[in-house]
Amino acid sequence: MTAASIGAQAGRPADLVLVRRLKDPALLLLPALAFLAFIYLLPLIDLIRISVSGPSWSTYFERVFAIPLYWDSLVRTMQISVTVAGLCLLFGYPTALLIHRSRGMTQALIATAIVLPYFIAILIRTYAWMVLLGRNGPVNKLLVSVGILSEPVQLLFNRGTVLLGMTAVLLPLMVLTIYSSVARLDQSLTRAALASGAGPIAAFWRVLLPLTLPGMGAGFLLVFVAAIGFFITPTLLGGPGDQMFAMHITQQADSVTSEGFLQALGVVLLTITLAVVAVAGRFLGFEFIWGGRKLTEAAPTTTNRYAADDGRRSFGASAADLIGWPLLRLFGRLPASFGTWTVRLMGGLVITVLILPIIVVMIISFSSASYLTFPPPGFSFRWYEQFFSDSNWMRAFWTSLVVAAMSAGIAIVLGASAALGIVRSSIRGKSTIMLLLVSPIIVPPVVLGLSLYSLFLRFDLVGSVFGLAAAHAIGGLPLVVVILSASLQGVDTRLEQAAAVHGASSLTVFRLVTLPAIMPGLAAATFFAFLHSFDELVLTLFLSSAELKTLPLMLWGDINYRLNPVLAVVSTLEVLLVVAGLVLARPVLATSRKAT
Amino acid sequence: MGEPSAQRVMRSGNANVRTLPTGRLRDRDAIGSSIAVREAVKAYGNFHAVDRISIDIEPGEFITLLGPSGSGKTTLLNLVAGFQSLDSGEILVDGKPVHNVPTHKRGFGMVFQSYALFPNMTVSQNVAFPLRMAGVDRATAERRVAETLEIMRLTEHATKSPSQMSGGQQQRVAIARAIVRKPKVVLMDEPLSALDRRLREQIQIEIRDLHQTIGSTILFVTHDQGEALTMSDRIAVLNAGKIVQIGRPLDIYRHPTDRFVASFVGESNLIEAEILQKRGSTLTMKNRAGYVFSAESRDTIDVGRATVLVRPERIAVSNEPAANSTPVSVTSAIFLGEILRIEAQMEGGDPLLIRCTDMADRPLPAVGDRLHVSWGAADCWVLA
Repeated sequence: MTAASIGAQAGRPADLVLVRRLKDPALLLLPALAFLAFIYLLPLIDLIRISVSGPSWSTYFERVFAIPLYWDSLVRTMQISVTVAGLCLLFGYPTALLIHRSRGMTQALIATAIVLPYFIAILIRTYAWMVLLGRNGPVNKLLVSVGILSEPVQLLFNRGTVLLGMTAVLLPLMVLTIYSSVARLDQSLTRAALASGAGPIAAFWRVLLPLTLPGMGAGFLLVFVAAIGFFITPTLLGGPGDQMFAMHITQQADSVTSEGFLQALGVVLLTITLAVVAVAGRFLGFEFIWGGRKLTEAAPTTTNRYAADDGRRSFGASAADLIGWPLLRLFGRLPASFGTWTVRLMGGLVITVLILPIIVVMIISFSSASYLTFPPPGFSFRWYEQFFSDSNWMRAFWTSLVVAAMSAGIAIVLGASAALGIVRSSIRGKSTIMLLLVSPIIVPPVVLGLSLYSLFLRFDLVGSVFGLAAAHAIGGLPLVVVILSASLQGVDTRLEQAAAVHGASSLTVFRLVTLPAIMPGLAAATFFAFLHSFDELVLTLFLSSAELKTLPLMLWGDINYRLNPVLAVVSTLEVLLVVAGLVLARPVLATSRKAT
Repeated sequence: MGEPSAQRVMRSGNANVRTLPTGRLRDRDAIGSSIAVREAVKAYGNFHAVDRISIDIEPGEFITLLGPSGSGKTTLLNLVAGFQSLDSGEILVDGKPVHNVPTHKRGFGMVFQSYALFPNMTVSQNVAFPLRMAGVDRATAERRVAETLEIMRLTEHATKSPSQMSGGQQQRVAIARAIVRKPKVVLMDEPLSALDRRLREQIQIEIRDLHQTIGSTILFVTHDQGEALTMSDRIAVLNAGKIVQIGRPLDIYRHPTDRFVASFVGESNLIEAEILQKRGSTLTMKNRAGYVFSAESRDTIDVGRATVLVRPERIAVSNEPAANSTPVSVTSAIFLGEILRIEAQMEGGDPLLIRCTDMADRPLPAVGDRLHVSWGAADCWVLA
């Protein structure tokens, strides 16, 4: 205690304590927490309350499980989600390795090919697949021209296209998750395995694979959880036999009579999601949700399978002796190019699947034909003219811009303050608070939309621009918090201390030291929050009105009843927006990834 | 791949067979491979990391690649290991070119700066890894692992996970893994630089003893000249992708070929002097301070100027003027324990570094004190 503070304490201790409390950075968490409590937790609690408000608490749930339609759909949803997660893992791992092993310009290009689709709206990427696989699409044309088909057939609206579309949509998530776990590994580990006489395959199997297992687990679960709540892709690419659980909720939402039952459907979906996340968090640490690193705990002294077994041969060990090791050695004889080519081929396939649909859609937007066909018969700007001269499209476009800007504003103000609060305060339960702040990422959008709908009805917010922006900010907030806390942790506190020692007030310190250091993160966070809202469809479906239509909503309406090249124009514009954003954010991303 | 290298070892009456202090491993007469690098080039764009390097390494030799960072020493090691491929030139192991042999079939052992222990395996699993990859049966492998762990004094840590061990212990595990196959060549990439000084010195001695025992050829990379001098049979000093000098530690230290080697290895005074006269191989020289001294010349320089290396510990110091001494004034004096490190200025302003042993009759000089220094012909080395 300095003499000054002792004097002050002697004078008016109560005031001092109050001042100190008011200066606690933990207070910065309050706005975001209050926001989430009102617009996120409250509606979800309300949703649960309505779902148990029947004659007995379980009435609606009994109905959900008694009707075969829903039970079958639930089973189907699980099957599809597991398959999609498995496919993503199978193709995502080699792709992550491909990024890791390439260098310089090649690496930048491959990484962009993965990251770019990640930021393009799911709706648009699904639409691209409809174009690609449609009757007049390039795939049909190709199959007919090489003589496999005699005439174009319906390739869409079956289980295969649902799996393909969902896998393509979710692959970037998997690749990025696995890549971050591969990139963390000490490169000399693989070299050590090679120097120890392990062939490339053996080095992969015994060293790389076991060490990236947590990353694979995190990727699998993230994709699985996202797939469970999927709604857009299965609706557009699936047939009647491919109904997923989330689709029932939107269909039922139109009928007023199903109050209670509808909420029960939502609660079932929410419960499954949370249960999966809880189990995953138990093993991987909840950091897996936002791609943070689990604090490495000292590995427990595992029972040694090799030296400590006192001559007692377990069956597994002898099996390893007889089959495992010889097999590994045998594979070790495979030339190194075998592994390299597997990685290149699978990675190349993934990149094609991610980029090709986007390119086809961009080409079609310049088509002169009045219907969707590829290759286009001629080049014209007619669809661009039609888009920019159509007042409905333009109004939706401006609405989207306004909503996204407002939503980004809300998310950035609340998120930046929350990030400061979480990084700079010393309160207990930080990880729980972080989990709460980030949790909107994992709640199925359909459930969130349903719960918000009741809230918006009660406060007469349906169709209001501000309400929609606030709803979008629920999902934008986690992005801002994650990016900015990483940025803030990267700020060297000694710089701030140095500024303070040399006479800067705390506000000046923030302005001159902290703010410039997190500026790149702030810019990236703003861009992602903006994009999140600009792309958002599911919440908007629940919360908009006839007067308030966003661009994705217009797209959704058009896709459902006429597929024309105007959609391709919108898609191309969105791709250009994302590309521009990524180009601007590129240096930023590089630094924020390092800080994570 | 295939057979562990020990079984391929030639048993020869080679004169190189070492007499070992204590033969703890069985293959006492195991001799490492010879390595020959011929005109090796590795470039990244315009930057020549390794620029036409040639070097012949004798079987069983402990050779150190010494150089500042960016000198190409690690690139050269990676080329020998097979992690990178040559742009041109060739590398021969026991006379056979290896450029088409992938790393895992070269049968080398390697120790990394970052230890690179597999975190998903225990200590003994890590050490057993090269044996399992070589197809050694379980019983033999167990015995060999136990032997190796004992040599490295790690027996009680066998079941631990690497993350539970200290840096020094982890590095000993890494060394155990590198030598368990009794490889003919062990590569070491700055293995001690992550350790603190005391531990570093201890493991230096362990590695040197180990080399005596296992007889492998060791190619050791470091930027620490003290480490290189302590451990090596020969040192290759690298700078800017080229070998500047190669020789025994004593030769490198006493007879460096140029200013770079003279100043990189050990502390040095490089004194510019004018050649007054040459008689036989003895030069009479005069420096800027007017100090006239004689030096032995190894080549044909006889007129003009030359740079003379005088090691700080070769300079005789006294408080009183003596025959053929020159006065200097002290600019700093530091007591380092067994020696005093004195920085002084000669007349004319040239700095002079002096190291002398601490003696009872020698008080620590104060700044500004006058001392009288001298050196003889045998204490000088004339650089080209």
